[in-house]
Amino acid sequence: MQTDATFSDDGAPGRYGPQRLSVELANICNLHCSYCFRSEENLYNSRAEFFPVELLRRVIGEARDVANVTKINFTGGEPTLHPDFAATLETVAGAGMTSSFVTNGWHFERVWPAIVANRHSISHVAFSLDGITRETHDRWRGNGSFDRLVRAFSRCYMSDLPFALKVTVRRDLMDQLEQIAMFAARLGAAALNFVHVMPTSTAVADESSLSLDEQRIVEEEVAILARIFKMSIGVDVGYYNIDEENAPCSPLAGTSMNVDYRGRLSLCCNLSGFRGADEEADVVADLNVEPFASAFAKLKELASLQLQNRKAALAALRAQGVKPDLFTGSPCLFCLQSFGKVPWRSAPEPELVSIRGRRQ
Amino acid sequence: MGQTALRITRTDKIMNSNNLIPGKHVVVTDFDGGEGILVDLNTKKYFQLNETAMVVWKGLEQGKNVGQIADDIVARYEVALDNATRSVERILDNFQNYKLLTAK
Repeated sequence: MQTDATFSDDGAPGRYGPQRLSVELANICNLHCSYCFRSEENLYNSRAEFFPVELLRRVIGEARDVANVTKINFTGGEPTLHPDFAATLETVAGAGMTSSFVTNGWHFERVWPAIVANRHSISHVAFSLDGITRETHDRWRGNGSFDRLVRAFSRCYMSDLPFALKVTVRRDLMDQLEQIAMFAARLGAAALNFVHVMPTSTAVADESSLSLDEQRIVEEEVAILARIFKMSIGVDVGYYNIDEENAPCSPLAGTSMNVDYRGRLSLCCNLSGFRGADEEADVVADLNVEPFASAFAKLKELASLQLQNRKAALAALRAQGVKPDLFTGSPCLFCLQSFGKVPWRSAPEPELVSIRGRRQ
Repeated sequence: MGQTALRITRTDKIMNSNNLIPGKHVVVTDFDGGEGILVDLNTKKYFQLNETAMVVWKGLEQGKNVGQIADDIVARYEVALDNATRSVERILDNFQNYKLLTAK
């Protein structure tokens, strides 16, 4: 699962586009990407749970009235697995808002009639891409994934439905950014959003996540590509931003927020249901039992406090003349760390026991 | 990037059409109403196919030759066999020009 923050927004600090809400329509996913940051337990080992349409209707109506939310972005799990996906799109359209969703594209043909029926209120679709060939993409997402994705692009392109590609920059993709941009441009994508790997374990961090220096190279290259190509290109998640004056991301700017598949309001879609997390301090209220207004007040307080904490952390390092590492310099990783989402970072090394010394 | 309309031209390449099948580098999408879209993964180009061109493409997928595909068209539309055959040949020719087919 990937998130969708800046399809058409200017990502400059302080300007994060319209007020928007991410809604997780399902806890489950039909694909199994090893670097995914959503809880494996929720995705694959739990009962399937889908966001109730009635709750959606109430929440987005209140969010519109209370927080001026105008855009709803559906995520998951895989949102198209929602058994009444058409009704979720209709609900957003009925509220006079626009919708978008992030998908792996596998079920796109099945939900296409619902998309066509609600086309007027859908701003765009974002597709997760893992490689620009069948071999490279399907290696992560299973046989047939790439062809289904290309068919989904075809439908969007021929129907003038803008689509974005979301690419998680694993270490093996670092040197392919230009080819990915060319692929996206030739196939008519309106946007290309790169996403840094959110580290969920030592293994993922070692295998796929980039070091600070590698991230810098990638972000410089993305900036160059953004100048060359007409489509919107940027880094959505995990970027390094040590600006102490402005909010470094849309959740801390108070522009975006998340509702998980259980109906709980939380700070950011990138923290929600994080794989291996110990804590859920980013969750502020259960909207099943609490009005959006009071939940939103708590969220603003949390965002403000978190922003303050991060500015203080950056200022302290600056005072010591220390360059912030990724877990401070990246707002995403700062929140992961401070909200207890990456307990593996502080876990003690496993005790080494010699075979000879083991008790039988 | 871009959509390409298949041009209607004829060359003698068509003589070998019975040995041709859709390329593995081409992804086809069926649209309602019988039309379709091809994506050439080598060139990253879209090709919009009308109903007749889709019948030809589907026929090639099923391993049919020109005559069999022309029969399909005659069965589906009010058209004489020789006209249908010429249409199939023209469409195949265009598929070949755009390198959308490969040898069996």
